[in-house]
Amino acid sequence: MLEALWNNVDYVASVVLFCIGLYIIIAKNNLIKKFLGLNIMETAVFSFIVALGVVDGGEPPIMGPDATPPFASPIPQALVLTGIVVAVSTTALALSLIIRIYRQCGTIEADELREME
Amino acid sequence: MYDWAHWLPLAILTPLLGAVLTPVVSLRSRHVAVWWSLGVMTVTSVAAAMLIIRVALEGPFSYLPGGWEPPYGIELRFDEFSASVSVIVLIGWLAVLYSLRYTEWLREVPKQRIPYYYSLLLLNLGGMIGFVVTGDLFNLFVFLEILSLSSYALVAFSGEHIAEMAAFKYLLMGAISSLLVLFSIAILFGLTGSLNMADVATRLSSAESVAPAALALGMLTVGFMVKAALFPVHIWLPDAHSIAPSPISAVLSGLVVKIGILGMIRIYQIYNTAGVIDMHWLNHVLVWLGAISIVMGAFFAIFQDDIKLMLAYSTISNIGYIVMGLGLSTNFSIIGGSVHVFNHALIKATLFFAAGCLIYRTGYRTLTDLRGVGHSMPLTSIAISIGAISIVGIPPTAGFLCKWYITLGAFEAEQPFFGFALIFGALFIFIYYIRMVNAFYFQAPTHPEILEVKEAPASMLFPTLFLAGLCLVMGILGRIPLAFIEPAAQRLLAPLGG
Repeated sequence: MLEALWNNVDYVASVVLFCIGLYIIIAKNNLIKKFLGLNIMETAVFSFIVALGVVDGGEPPIMGPDATPPFASPIPQALVLTGIVVAVSTTALALSLIIRIYRQCGTIEADELREME
Repeated sequence: MYDWAHWLPLAILTPLLGAVLTPVVSLRSRHVAVWWSLGVMTVTSVAAAMLIIRVALEGPFSYLPGGWEPPYGIELRFDEFSASVSVIVLIGWLAVLYSLRYTEWLREVPKQRIPYYYSLLLLNLGGMIGFVVTGDLFNLFVFLEILSLSSYALVAFSGEHIAEMAAFKYLLMGAISSLLVLFSIAILFGLTGSLNMADVATRLSSAESVAPAALALGMLTVGFMVKAALFPVHIWLPDAHSIAPSPISAVLSGLVVKIGILGMIRIYQIYNTAGVIDMHWLNHVLVWLGAISIVMGAFFAIFQDDIKLMLAYSTISNIGYIVMGLGLSTNFSIIGGSVHVFNHALIKATLFFAAGCLIYRTGYRTLTDLRGVGHSMPLTSIAISIGAISIVGIPPTAGFLCKWYITLGAFEAEQPFFGFALIFGALFIFIYYIRMVNAFYFQAPTHPEILEVKEAPASMLFPTLFLAGLCLVMGILGRIPLAFIEPAAQRLLAPLGG
């Protein structure tokens, strides 16, 4: 069991990161901190996807005269690139919302905002 | 040879490209934006109509962008469930028309920003169309994010004082659910080495280990449950849907929450075909959550005075019906649930459009303030009454057939308790819509000037009345969608029995 975990330590690490991010979103009061938690979750998922593409002894998958298999899988990197674009736009939108919340309410602490509602 | 499948990429690309170009074409005058959007939606509607004709005549078909064969290339797949593009383009078109006057009326919104509103709305609709026609798991995620991000921004657009809070809450929950979906797509990719849905399904049946597939199924279900606002994860919905501008509320409540349901259907298709996991426990959980959603949503709606908040809670209740229909997994209940995706979109858009008309003319949004409005805005009030009797499920209207089929399904599955839960929920719904009709027609006005207001302008009244008419027509012609969706329901069901 432990050996299986150790052999897949990259997957375990991303699951742990994912849970840390989720914990921050639930436990922290400050909206920016909540959002940082979300970014940690995003990073966890991206690192998981990148780790999926690893092939033991894999070469970069670039075709050429001296290209020798095995190749690392290129698809996960393409996926993560798209994922990062999505994450950036989510971050931009969330930060602009936080700015507007601060301008209107003068605070970005979740409990104080709840009282105002 | 002319191939109708070429309309498929056009149906996705038209609204997306139209959205990007909206701010450009309206540089000179912001009034161009609405007509441009209407044109874009008209082209999209034509494409959608062509696709639906083709699927009705010949059954499901695929399109391969760039001619790359799946599983290496992306596949666009149009089946009976994808026919929900019909309701997406219909409500999308009407919402754009409705916004013509409504956006000008939003006082908090700077006028020069209005083109961005149409841009976001088109992005949202394009994302939804893409979501329902894609046959590729990662594309599913990308379109999910396009439509979710634009919805978060649109919720904040109304400029009401807690709009940003509601949008942020929506964004936080929506982003977590998107990440769950992405994580499980990654797990499926790791297990099978493929992203094409059909290919994943065949490869999953010979996967090395079942546990990660089960984990992915669980996370996908939770992720799409958040998007669909099913009971324990519905908390973002009431604020977001009631604060958003009314045409956006109609789009969000009618269409965007259904995307969660359609996502679930897609995923269960994969897992049913693969047949590696016993789905019965999951179906059982879904039925219970559906039943709780029905009763909870209806129960909370009774205590709302704000008309849009009441409609938002009723959405939770109706999502419960659909999920219960899917979870019961009998022939009748799946047909009923799938058609309710379509019919509830019509009904809820009618109600939100009508509520928007009332708010636009009177400036009030609570039932107490709106008393007596039935006398001064008769057409809007008729539309809202038709919507109300449809959503309760009184026979000649659209809501009746679906609820009847789901109830039949509950008895067919020999779980009559859920049939009673459904009827119980309908009774609650009946109470709160009776409250609304009572306030509009029979109670003395709180504000006497409400009797002086004019009927809503034509660009807002037309979408409302048109959809109200459809609610009636779909009740009478209800056999058509039921017969249309039946082969798809059979396909969804077949591996379960075997």
